[in-house]
Amino acid sequence: MNLWKSKGFGRLIGAFAASLMAPMLHAQTPGVSNNEIVIGLFAPLSGPLVAYGVDPLNAAKMLYDDVNAKGGIHGRKIRLVIEDDKCTGNELVGVVKKLITVDNVFVLHGGSCTAAIAAAQEYIQREKVPFVMLNAAGDNAVFPATRYMFGSFQGTQRVYGSALAEFAVKSLKAKRVAVIVHDDDYGKANLAAAKAVIERLGGEVVAQERIPPNISDITAPVLNLRASKPDAILSGAYPAPAVLLAQKYGEFGMTNIPLLQSTQGMPTPSVYAKNVGNPDALKNLYHTWSFSDIANEAIRARMVGMYKKSFPDREPGPFMVTGVPSALAVIDTLQRMGRDLTREKFVDAMEKLNLTADVMTGPLQFAPGRRDALRSVVVVKFDGKTQKAMPDIYTWNGKDGN
Amino acid sequence: MGTWNLIWQGLASGVVTGCVYALVALSLVIVYKSTDVVNFAGGELVMIGAYLGLFILLGLEWPYVALFVMVPIGSFVLGGLFTRFSLDKVSGRAMVKHANLVPLVVATIALSYLLKGIVRVIPFTEEVRRLPPLMTGPPIFLGDVVIQQQDIAIVLVTTVVMVILWLFFGYTFVGKALRATSQNIRAAALLGIPVNLMKLSVWGLSAAIAGIAGILLAPKLLMTPDMGTVVMLAFAAAIIGGFSSLPGCVVGGIALGILQNMVGIFISPQAIAVTPFFVIMLVLLFKPQGFFDTTLAVKKV
Repeated sequence: MNLWKSKGFGRLIGAFAASLMAPMLHAQTPGVSNNEIVIGLFAPLSGPLVAYGVDPLNAAKMLYDDVNAKGGIHGRKIRLVIEDDKCTGNELVGVVKKLITVDNVFVLHGGSCTAAIAAAQEYIQREKVPFVMLNAAGDNAVFPATRYMFGSFQGTQRVYGSALAEFAVKSLKAKRVAVIVHDDDYGKANLAAAKAVIERLGGEVVAQERIPPNISDITAPVLNLRASKPDAILSGAYPAPAVLLAQKYGEFGMTNIPLLQSTQGMPTPSVYAKNVGNPDALKNLYHTWSFSDIANEAIRARMVGMYKKSFPDREPGPFMVTGVPSALAVIDTLQRMGRDLTREKFVDAMEKLNLTADVMTGPLQFAPGRRDALRSVVVVKFDGKTQKAMPDIYTWNGKDGN
Repeated sequence: MGTWNLIWQGLASGVVTGCVYALVALSLVIVYKSTDVVNFAGGELVMIGAYLGLFILLGLEWPYVALFVMVPIGSFVLGGLFTRFSLDKVSGRAMVKHANLVPLVVATIALSYLLKGIVRVIPFTEEVRRLPPLMTGPPIFLGDVVIQQQDIAIVLVTTVVMVILWLFFGYTFVGKALRATSQNIRAAALLGIPVNLMKLSVWGLSAAIAGIAGILLAPKLLMTPDMGTVVMLAFAAAIIGGFSSLPGCVVGGIALGILQNMVGIFISPQAIAVTPFFVIMLVLLFKPQGFFDTTLAVKKV
């Protein structure tokens, strides 16, 4: 008898093949069980950029805990797997791989540093795992839009540049505008959007200074700005150069010219003011801001109160509120999805996000081909001690500078 | 603001920045002239001086003038300790000037990482800080050219340090003993000069000058553990003037400060960072001994 041709052997092979295929046929969505959804939450929890990570991550955790306290989402509690990405590409990619392959999370929610996130982008696309940025600006990771990456819950450089340009021309009646940005992709995006808006509104860009992010002597660029006799100066500088710029602007007696700074240049306004060290340099200073807590003290108090209830031993820093919008977006999406959770359905549902939260200056929205959530910001006047939100909200039209 | 006003302003600001580069370059050249060792920790000694100054001013709440006493003393002690516990061990207290140069240079690189690492772990330094300026008050206007009182202070302090150094090396016994030790260590020892103490003094003096540069530089920059990168500009200044010439490195520093501003104004701010390295290349190609050091030495390999 030929064993290979026997019916019994054939049935044995068939049963073996079926047993291999059974798990695939009835595959469970990673990170989802009957009673829990697993979310990988990560941020820089150590290292020099810890201030950008700890409080925002805690804020997101606070919101997830609040949801769990109210019974979870459609009967499922959210379980967090928290990791430290140290704001570096190597660490973040390692964290993401671990969360996907070892912890089998449903979605990834994290990242405070765009460059680090960009390092993981290819892996994310390959593994087809939804990635919702925690509080990174995200310009490089959301333009061009890719299917699985969602971010920029505080706005992009295009939003900041266009908002300040519109404020300068419409509110400050500036006709001649000087722009100083960095010579990287963020600076390029900021400048392009600002220039497009200024020219669209009938103004003129009289100086464009592009400076390295690590510049230590900003004398020459500021002299060039001064020589162009602008009515307003727009800055997309990062924190250290932004302080140097304000110092030189004060030293060279330019303080009658409004200085308009994008958000990234003054993440902590009080520290910025202390480092500038010249009250005169701050008398004509404005900056963009993506949250309504400055205009509405009750909102800030509510957020801080919620935070302190969850973390009574910790005083929240100024970045705390930046962890809120992305967590609200994830929660809203999960609620809209119902019980039937798959990663692809999460992406489709997230793409339909249109969430208005009182803490934000505008709606959080995605769409096919759009992965930057927030396009509206306010402009705040800061004199070194008090911040006052200007009345209007400035919205990027999605075209200027793109 | 016309072109000439831009130039004058660039010149004025360049002289101020150049004075700081000159001080750091002086600290490098003093050590090199005496020991043939290039001190790669020069920038970190500037950084330490700045943080020490900030601690004295804000932590101990001593008056500003105390910085110009305590920071040089503290930096001198640091330089002395480095010599005693590292360099002497590495060189084996050798009487030969050129012995073990590579390990000595490596020791300075190690010191730079050590200092940066120590500063990074101190919680006080987590936040980016700024040292308040020595002199505040309304700027002085010369036409359209703005000169800050702090800038005048920088130029004055730099001038005073240079004059003190010139008097020290030229007219004091210790200064002459240091010069003798740097020229011929064996002969100096035979004359009864305590050469090990002289070596320690050179490194201490170099660190003290770097510390003073840190106090002057810190109000103009933001203080971070990485602010020691100014040493690259000091190297360029020393190479321009001649690595064995004290007056040369002063002129080199000021020239570099002015050149950077002119490049930034008339070419591009993005070219400012590469200017020192471009100048280094040109000088090494056409006048490798620098503009103020007339001797071109060829050593046996």
